[in-house]
Amino acid sequence: MTAPLLAVEGLTRRFGGLVAVSDVNLTLAQGEILGLIGPNGAGKTTVFNMLGGTFPPSAGRIRFAGTDVTGWPSHRMAQLGLTRTFQITSLFPTLSVLENVRAASYRRAKARWAGAFLRTAAWKQDEAEIGRRAEEILDFVALGHRRDMAAQALPYGEQRKLEIAVALGADPTLLLLDEPAAGMNPDEGAKLVQMIRAIRDRGVSVLLVEHHMKVVMGVCDRLVVLDHGVKIAEGAPQDVASHPEVIRVYLGREKVGA
Amino acid sequence: MTSNSRLPLIIGVAVLAILPFVVGNAYLQHMLVLWAIYALLALSLNMIVGYLGELTFGHAAFFGIGAYTSAILSMNYGMPVWLGPFAAAIVAGFFGAVIGYVALRIVGPQFAILTLGFGSILYTITNYWVDLTRGPMGISGIPPFSLPGLDIDFTRADRMYYVALIALLLVAYGCHALMSSRTGRAFIAVRENAPLAASTGIDVFHTKLLGFTIATALAGVGGALYGHYLRVITPDLMNLQYVAALIIMVIVGGKGTIIGPIIGAGIYVALLEALRVVGSLRLVVFAALLTLCVIFLPGGLVSLWRRYAGRGAAGGAA
Repeated sequence: MTAPLLAVEGLTRRFGGLVAVSDVNLTLAQGEILGLIGPNGAGKTTVFNMLGGTFPPSAGRIRFAGTDVTGWPSHRMAQLGLTRTFQITSLFPTLSVLENVRAASYRRAKARWAGAFLRTAAWKQDEAEIGRRAEEILDFVALGHRRDMAAQALPYGEQRKLEIAVALGADPTLLLLDEPAAGMNPDEGAKLVQMIRAIRDRGVSVLLVEHHMKVVMGVCDRLVVLDHGVKIAEGAPQDVASHPEVIRVYLGREKVGA
Repeated sequence: MTSNSRLPLIIGVAVLAILPFVVGNAYLQHMLVLWAIYALLALSLNMIVGYLGELTFGHAAFFGIGAYTSAILSMNYGMPVWLGPFAAAIVAGFFGAVIGYVALRIVGPQFAILTLGFGSILYTITNYWVDLTRGPMGISGIPPFSLPGLDIDFTRADRMYYVALIALLLVAYGCHALMSSRTGRAFIAVRENAPLAASTGIDVFHTKLLGFTIATALAGVGGALYGHYLRVITPDLMNLQYVAALIIMVIVGGKGTIIGPIIGAGIYVALLEALRVVGSLRLVVFAALLTLCVIFLPGGLVSLWRRYAGRGAAGGAA
C-alpha cells in the first residue's frame, strides 16, 4: 500500500484547561472520501481547523503529501494542495461568479505583473488558461449560467456551490469540506452527494465534516467518529453505523442510515 | 481588452495630449500639471483604499518623503534631477515597507489609526530635523525638472505637464496591468475575504505589504514631481489636509477603479479653483461632497456611468 495522502498522528488541542481533541490518529488515502462525524462538541471542527491551518495543534503531527505540515498557516497548506472550505458561507462577495473562481487561481497562475505589463505571450497564455479553467469549474458545479452575477446576489444554495467552485479553483489534491450540507434541503443534499463523488472523480480526495447523516452515509468510503475529542470508531459507514459505542453516543438519537 | 473599449481610451489620451494647446492660458496649464500629479497620487492611494481595502491616513507622509528625498539629493548631493522620482520611489517605498511591516499586522480601523500615528511621526521629524529639512521654513530654490542632454525649460507648466502626464499614464497602465495579473487578483481577494484568500494559497500579510509598499513608492514619485515643479516644499505637504484631499479624490471619483481617482483629482482641482472666492468655506463643500458620496454613491462618480451602461457587478479589476 502506498503512503497515505494525509496522515495524522496523536493530534491534540487544548484550550486552556479544556482538551478539545485528544490523541486522534487518522489517515486518508489518495482518492478517498473520508467522513469525520460526531455529536456536537465532539471536536470535529477543532480537528478540521488544525488540518486547515487555522491554528496549530498542541501536540501531534500532520503529514500531507509526504511533507510534515504540522502548524503551517492556511496559505502554505493551500500552496501544497490542501484547501479548506468554511462552515459559514464564505465568498468574494462583490466579485462576479466567474471572478470568484479566477481569484482563487493564485496557486496555478504563473505569469506575474511584469508579464502583464509587457503583455507577453506567456502572460496571455496563462490568463487564457485561467479563464478556461474557471469556466470549466463553473460548468462542473452547474453555475455557468450565473457567471456574470455578483456572488452576493446568488441564492443560498448556489452560494454553497460557488464556494466549492472557489475551492476547486485553487486546484487542491485534498479538499476539506466543513459542513457543506448545512441549511440544504434533502433534494440539495442528494445533489451534493453526487457532486462530492464527481469531485473525487476529478482526482481530488475529500475529507468531509458533516452533520447531515444522509449525506455522510451516501458518499463516504470510510468514517471516523469522534466523541469528546477522542476517536471512538473508524471504518466503513455500515460497520460504523452498527458499532455499539457509536450508537450509544451519537446515532442512538437519530435513525441510522435514514 | 477589445478594440471596442480601446477607442475611447485612445481618444481620451489624445485629448489629454493636446490639452495645453487648447487652454493656452498659463494659469490653467498650471492647474493641469497639478491635476496630473494629484491624479498619480490618487491612483497610489487607490491601491491601498480601493484594491487592498484598507484606509490609511498616512499617505501624505510618503508624498512628503518623496518630495524631500528628491529635493535634498539633487540640491546637496548633485544627483541629476531626472533620477529624482526613482530615488523618491525607493526611499518612500522603503519607509512604506518598514511601516507596513509593523502596521499591517492589524487591519481595519486600528490600521487606519496606526497610519495616522506614523504619518504624524514622519511629519514631526520633518518639521524638527532642521539640519536636513530646514524645518518649518521648508526648502526653496529646488531645481526644476530636467532631462539629460535636452534643453527643455520645465519651469513652464505646458512642458512640465507632459512629464506629469507621462508619469500618470505609466502608473495608470501599471495599475491596469497589475490588476490583470495574479498579484492584483490576490489584492482583490484579500480585500474581499482574507480567510478565504488564505485558503486558496494567498499569503495575506505579504500581499498587503507588497501593495502598501508599491503605493507608498508611487506616492514618493508624485512628491518628487511636485517638489521639482513648485520648487518650494514645506513639512505641510505631510499634513492631514493632503491626506483628506487624496481620500476625497479617490472616494468621489470611484475607489477600486483606475479612471475614478483620475476623474476625482480633476474634480478636486477644478472645485478648489471654482470655490476660491468662498475661502476656507470650500473645505465644508469638500466635506459635504465626500459625505454625500459615501452615503449615496459608494462606488463614486464612475459607478454612475456603470449604472447607466447597465453593467453587472461593481468592483473587480476594472
